[in-house]
Amino acid sequence: MIIIGEKINGSIPSVAKAIAEKNEDFIRDLAVKQAEAGATFIDVCASVAPEIEVETLKWLINVVQDAVDTPLSIDSPNEKCLVEVIPVCKKPGLVNSVSMEGNKVDTIFPIIANTKWECFALLSDDKGIPRTAERRLEVFDNLMVKAKQYGIAPARLHIDPLVEMLCTSEDGISMVTTVIREIKSRYPSIHVSGAISNISFNLPARKLVNMGFVCLAMNAGMDSGIFDPLDKTLMGIIYATEALLGYDELCIEYIGAYREGIIAAPAVKK
Amino acid sequence: MSKVQEVAAAVENGKVKIVAGLVQEALDEGCAADEILNVGMIGAMAVVGEKFKNNEIFVPEMLIAARAMKKGIEVLTPVLKAQGAEPVGRLILGTVAGDLHDIGKNLVGMMIEGAGFEVIDLGVDVPAEKFIEAMKENPDVKIVALSALLTTTMPAIKDTIDAIVASGLRDTVKIMIGGAPVTQAFADEVGADGYSEDAASAAQLATKLLG
Repeated sequence: MIIIGEKINGSIPSVAKAIAEKNEDFIRDLAVKQAEAGATFIDVCASVAPEIEVETLKWLINVVQDAVDTPLSIDSPNEKCLVEVIPVCKKPGLVNSVSMEGNKVDTIFPIIANTKWECFALLSDDKGIPRTAERRLEVFDNLMVKAKQYGIAPARLHIDPLVEMLCTSEDGISMVTTVIREIKSRYPSIHVSGAISNISFNLPARKLVNMGFVCLAMNAGMDSGIFDPLDKTLMGIIYATEALLGYDELCIEYIGAYREGIIAAPAVKK
Repeated sequence: MSKVQEVAAAVENGKVKIVAGLVQEALDEGCAADEILNVGMIGAMAVVGEKFKNNEIFVPEMLIAARAMKKGIEVLTPVLKAQGAEPVGRLILGTVAGDLHDIGKNLVGMMIEGAGFEVIDLGVDVPAEKFIEAMKENPDVKIVALSALLTTTMPAIKDTIDAIVASGLRDTVKIMIGGAPVTQAFADEVGADGYSEDAASAAQLATKLLG
């Protein structure tokens, strides 16, 4: 599983405070802890007013890359902001994100075309979030036409099939898993990703729903995700699921993660 | 750390990919093949067995240690053969008739190999006649090890031992038995020479029975 560590995000109040106070130690600590837990990318999202987003994101990038070698996931809804901060990064990471809305793809893809940067892409377009699997796959096809045009290999793409909250869904996640399976069958090397906790919005005991979701999504082909790598139970479920799916010979990765203290069974309350 | 200790550490930690190279380096540096075997392989597997017995490591970790050891043995065997060295002993191993379980039996086989034995593994669901046949074909075999995982197949251990007695070969070998439902009391009852409760103890027992 490709782990995109989500903890450095200005929409989290404690992080917003650290950003406002330019508290480097706080950010550095979150970066180091996520790197130690095995994050593949460390996401940095400013979530500040547009006029200070570029400078804030640059500050976050520099604090994190001075602390750890883990590549960054630079996270902004504004593609112009992403373009400005890419040159600040010492090594290629993940652009988070593009979609088929507006000029996002045509802005980002040419810049990363001949690099090792990877890109996170949402299956929405100017008409919004498609309601059916067929329509989402249409958006996906349009995206892949662009990827081909700019020479971005499928293995550099993390496709977010757009997971919406379970509590108002009429079919659970069956539409999403249909999309995931289809994407993976067309491009086996492509990554399927998404924010793991979106699914449980507005439900009690959200972690339970998140854990059930991640198993089923991984079973369908999800191999990348945005979540908290310090959540030892969620990490444990992911390692266990990889072993259950046959990706972990002799459970060596699972045992290794246990020994390193990256995963742990939840405490049982009676 | 000496080269032989490096080999031992690599085996203990299941570093399958580097063991063969380390053994070759140790030989090139002039380490004696039997020292590499005794310390780097047998000694390391004894440590692994002990850790497993104490619930410090899991089955897969023991398996990869055994795999790592095999890689080392592959490099050592031709050298030892050229020197005319013999395995510490030969042993026939199998799961008895009617029982298809092989995981425990295989672990026992690996650990016994780790103790320097050559193991003749007859597989699972092995009829008594097949054990006797193998004993006749390999008269230098000193130990026969029988495994059963089920209470329903435990009687086949007794049948096998009885058949070995009837064949007149009982005095030529020591018989050791094991498996989840097997106990020392059962071993005494059926006339086995030894019982062990896990793979690590089985390796120790085999060495002891060779005495």
